[in-house]
Amino acid sequence: MSRIVLPELRERVLGNGLRIVVARRSGVPLVAGRLGVRAGSALDPVGACGLAHLTAISARRGAGRLSGRSIDDRVESLGASVGGDAEEDVTVQGLSTPAEVLPRVLEILAAVGSRPTFPVAEFERLRRSELAELAHDSDEASTLADRALLQATYGDHPYGHPVDGRAHDLARMRRKDAVAFHARWYGPRSAMLVLSGPVDPERTLDEAERLLGRWRPAPASPPPVGPARRAARRVVVVDKPDATQAQVRIGGVAIPRRSPDYLPAMVGNGVLGGGFTSRLVEAIRVNRGLTYGVRSRFAVGAETGLFILSSFTKNGSAGDLLEVALEEMARFAVGGPTEEELGRAANYLAGLFPLSLETHDQWADRIVDSWGYGYDLADICDYPDRLRAVGPVEARDATARHLPLQDGVVLAVGPARELVGQLARFGPVEVWPVGRVM
Amino acid sequence: MVRSAPLTVPTLEPIDLRSVVAHVLGNGLRIRILPARDVPAVSYYTFFGVGSRNERPGITGISHLFEHMMFNGSERYGPKEFDRILESHGGASNAYTSNDVTAYHEDFASEALPVVIDLESDRMRALRITEEALTQERSVVMEERRLRTENSHFGLLEEQLETLVFQAHPYRWPVIGWMEDIARISREDCLSFFRTYYAPGNAAIYVCGDVDPDDLLRRIEAAYGDIPAGPPVPPPVGGEPAQRGERRAAVRHPAHAPAMLAGFRGPSAREPDTAVLDVLQACLSMGEGSRLRRRLVQELQVAVSVGVGWTWRADPGVFLFSLELAPDKSPRKAEAALWEEIARVASRGITDSEMSRARALLRSGVLHELSTRNGIAHALGQAEAILGDWREAGRALERYRAVTREDVRRAARTWLDPLRRNVTWLEPEGEP
Repeated sequence: MSRIVLPELRERVLGNGLRIVVARRSGVPLVAGRLGVRAGSALDPVGACGLAHLTAISARRGAGRLSGRSIDDRVESLGASVGGDAEEDVTVQGLSTPAEVLPRVLEILAAVGSRPTFPVAEFERLRRSELAELAHDSDEASTLADRALLQATYGDHPYGHPVDGRAHDLARMRRKDAVAFHARWYGPRSAMLVLSGPVDPERTLDEAERLLGRWRPAPASPPPVGPARRAARRVVVVDKPDATQAQVRIGGVAIPRRSPDYLPAMVGNGVLGGGFTSRLVEAIRVNRGLTYGVRSRFAVGAETGLFILSSFTKNGSAGDLLEVALEEMARFAVGGPTEEELGRAANYLAGLFPLSLETHDQWADRIVDSWGYGYDLADICDYPDRLRAVGPVEARDATARHLPLQDGVVLAVGPARELVGQLARFGPVEVWPVGRVM
Repeated sequence: MVRSAPLTVPTLEPIDLRSVVAHVLGNGLRIRILPARDVPAVSYYTFFGVGSRNERPGITGISHLFEHMMFNGSERYGPKEFDRILESHGGASNAYTSNDVTAYHEDFASEALPVVIDLESDRMRALRITEEALTQERSVVMEERRLRTENSHFGLLEEQLETLVFQAHPYRWPVIGWMEDIARISREDCLSFFRTYYAPGNAAIYVCGDVDPDDLLRRIEAAYGDIPAGPPVPPPVGGEPAQRGERRAAVRHPAHAPAMLAGFRGPSAREPDTAVLDVLQACLSMGEGSRLRRRLVQELQVAVSVGVGWTWRADPGVFLFSLELAPDKSPRKAEAALWEEIARVASRGITDSEMSRARALLRSGVLHELSTRNGIAHALGQAEAILGDWREAGRALERYRAVTREDVRRAARTWLDPLRRNVTWLEPEGEP
């Protein structure tokens, strides 16, 4: 009915194993580029949480013969940008540039990805700056809640720490750690380059090959991350005595992107907590006025993922909000969606999907996404139709299997003196100081 | 490297103003349509010429609270129906309120166009405003205020700063309103607000996407044409005494590290210096090589982050500076370094290469903004609401090209005069 049309794609695999894809598109005269490498935060060594992130951001501060400052000057004088960050499974360095100067900016992206020099002064400055940013983050209740949820749900699984790291570990990190991380994991065999925009595909492929054809393979392939285990219910309060509003979360180990449950669970969750008319919005915002926003989602990684429900409310309502949310989850798990709800959620997701493929940047991200998660890009062409084909029982079961109804984590950030009593109904409450999640 | 021949194929400018179809209905409703038929999707904006500048003490925040009320039912659609119907047709809606405007938008698959026109025209014609819905939206907005202001350091600072920059003008109160006013606004206030500000004569529709303009105009005429024009909108109360010296405020709050927000009253968006201040902002803080980022973050390392904001407004805007410090850094030193850099720009201006860098970065920013249907429809609406003409949306690059280095120096001297400075500091207190 509403097939997605792929842009004109040209692909080349270089002798060193690097895969390059060019998507030729009309539209604004900009080009988006992404260099993805399988070197995400899941590879952070024990005691070095944040190393993938610090490696990614400090790579931009010196590469090839260029200092960080000359990269700034060259890139920005062209109206372009270059830079990137780690995610859980991959690190992506990106560019955005006026189309007419692509070769000059691509040369810099290639150097940042393959030949960073990690100047010590720049590395140290960024490390201190990241530590200071964490101090500011520790005043943000929503950031605390997200960090605490990862920790409480995943435990010591490689996905169980925030990408931007922990203060204790960042404080001990040195330049040599980033150099070693890069040398070990960054290489053409575990990388992909995507360029999207109004470009001449053959000449762009030639140019990319000239710049990255001599990039030497890394010695190691990333080890499999492995599944995470669901564990018994934990109830956590992160004590933030000054807050007048509690941030609340319910979370549990769920599914990876490649799970057969992924698509029906997207639709099921659309009914439960996805759009603006979801059951959670209806029950918590519309009928009770407890919050301004509530949503749930399946946050998927390559190897596993989380179900996350997030909201906020005045301190005195945190327990009630969480109770209503758990009731709605349980109601969904038993009864599933009505035909009307299912049609609405599927149409909503299907109708908006083409709008996530409007710009050169969005296409570049999507292509890297398909590589990172290992699905065929052509699979997205009938994605809207497949969403609409999900039946109510399938949506219910695929969702319900992964809802933390009895297990997982119930969590609130705010004044413990007001929250502990309210959350005791969900189980024995652990009170964490802010420092425990930083 | 050696510069080779370009790898790219030429494309058109992002907005072809000649393709925009503009029309005004008999009741004053303005309609602007830009067809873009490559993808079967549409973005549909409705702008109302009302924001916090049209409010008065006692009902501050009514524009924003009212935005919430617009989703609570109209003549032919019951409460909660708006989003339910839209989502079931593959669309999503959202809205925002600013100091100057309230805007509603829908992004959707093009076959949902008749449904969107029906939903939007019905709520413009006959919104239902019930006591029950008002009570519920009040508590939702109170949570929104707790989120964005009371539990956000920059939210707290911004609220203080606006009261320093503006002593009399309605910009002095926050768009979300004071908590006491949110609690006080009555159904009668809302009814009067709707009659005054939500009539077609105070509204405009902007559509970009897969539409046939003639067909769309016919549909809009049929749906909205008989809605009464509404009374003339009372002009907002302006007026603001000249600032004759620096103003400062402290916000003491539990925090791990200090932060600053400072601002200068600038020109209104229609004044020519608006584009000049965009260029100045780009020189000061856009990108790693910008003056302030290089000096304060990279060289002196007195700040973790520095930002400059210049928001266009119908009445005088505010040129903003923000700083986040490491816990062990001195606020006094960081602030002194900031003002030293500003004084340098005001006395010596910027270099040629800074000028061309700023133009290149601003151009890319404009292209990014105009790379989606939503971005284009919004830009047309914003240009008409703030600059008085939708065509200005396609003239941004032209405006930047006209700015000279001397303009930038003069604007920095004029608008960033230390005597007109307003500064708020977050002072960490107690155990956070």
